[in-house]
Amino acid sequence: MSHEYVPEIAIDRDGKKHEVQGWQGDFYGGKLGFWLFMLTEVMMFGAMFLTLTYYFTLHHQDFIDASSHLNRLLGGTNTVVLLFSALTMGLGLLKMRSGDVKGAKLMIWATILLALVFLGIKAVEWREEYTHGVFLGLDALQSGNEHSRPFGQILFYGMYFTMTGLHGFHIIIGIGLMLWLLKRINAGKVSTEHHILHFNIALYWDLVHLIWVFVFPYFYMIGAGNAH
Amino acid sequence: MHTNEHVNYQEQKGGYYKVLIGLLLLTTVTFIQPHMFLQSYTFVTQIMIGAIKAWLILMYYMHMKGETLIGWTVAFAVGLVVVFFAIVITDVGSFQFKTDSHITSQPHIEVNYHHEATEHEASQHDAGHTTSHEK
Repeated sequence: MSHEYVPEIAIDRDGKKHEVQGWQGDFYGGKLGFWLFMLTEVMMFGAMFLTLTYYFTLHHQDFIDASSHLNRLLGGTNTVVLLFSALTMGLGLLKMRSGDVKGAKLMIWATILLALVFLGIKAVEWREEYTHGVFLGLDALQSGNEHSRPFGQILFYGMYFTMTGLHGFHIIIGIGLMLWLLKRINAGKVSTEHHILHFNIALYWDLVHLIWVFVFPYFYMIGAGNAH
Repeated sequence: MHTNEHVNYQEQKGGYYKVLIGLLLLTTVTFIQPHMFLQSYTFVTQIMIGAIKAWLILMYYMHMKGETLIGWTVAFAVGLVVVFFAIVITDVGSFQFKTDSHITSQPHIEVNYHHEATEHEASQHDAGHTTSHEK
């Protein structure tokens, strides 16, 4: 498969063809714009971390007790999986920039595979929690019944499912973006000379990794020293 | 990374592997810390380790090293978030409805475990229960 760059063409009223000079030709502008988008993500997750910290100060022991019941083996495995996925994404971009488009595509596929592994592990973890009666909507996380967990634990698990769920949603979006990127590479719209789309999707994937870097200790590790 | 320029894969891949090793080592420290050292400060220690990992990711994987304009843009925006956080933390620290809120006070909800209770007993219970989330 050829990986020659195929420019976007616009045709004017007289039928003349013109190459579109869009964001693909403005590498720095495209990068700066994407950083501004990512800062909105930081605001969204930042507000959630702020809420989490506030609840933690109010219900300290409940949070530690709830955290100690999470599956650190699965959470830790996912941490390592994301770490390697950030590497494959980074190496893929490096291959693209060095002219090895086929190698770049292989690395993107490897990243997609690792992202699917992450989602699979997360699904196993959530299923395990569901079978233990701890899930959104179940009695344990509702106030005022005989199965209710302490109020602080209800807040903890509410935030846990919300934030890991939202993070998982970002992983799914990331997989979609990588598939789209592969399609654009195959169509010749992304190449060694015009790789801003690849660069920005790699940035997005690093942001998803970055968020997990804080999600993991916040939920899984604060209760790790608690004997259970 | 300032431009769309070509790079040499063999020359630059080493940097990615070095950062990977650093991140793996820090992840290992994350796991052993609550059992080995600073056990009384687990939360702060974990967040500090996370901050070091985040710095490595930002600088090397997200190519922030050497970026001036984007670096300052990010620093300014994150600074604004920090100011916003400080205002909110100060505000909730003196929350005037602290004793009334479900979030800030442990709700005290009595549960009727005896489904066979008579209506009379239930009405007596309601009369003596003034608020559902009294401190």
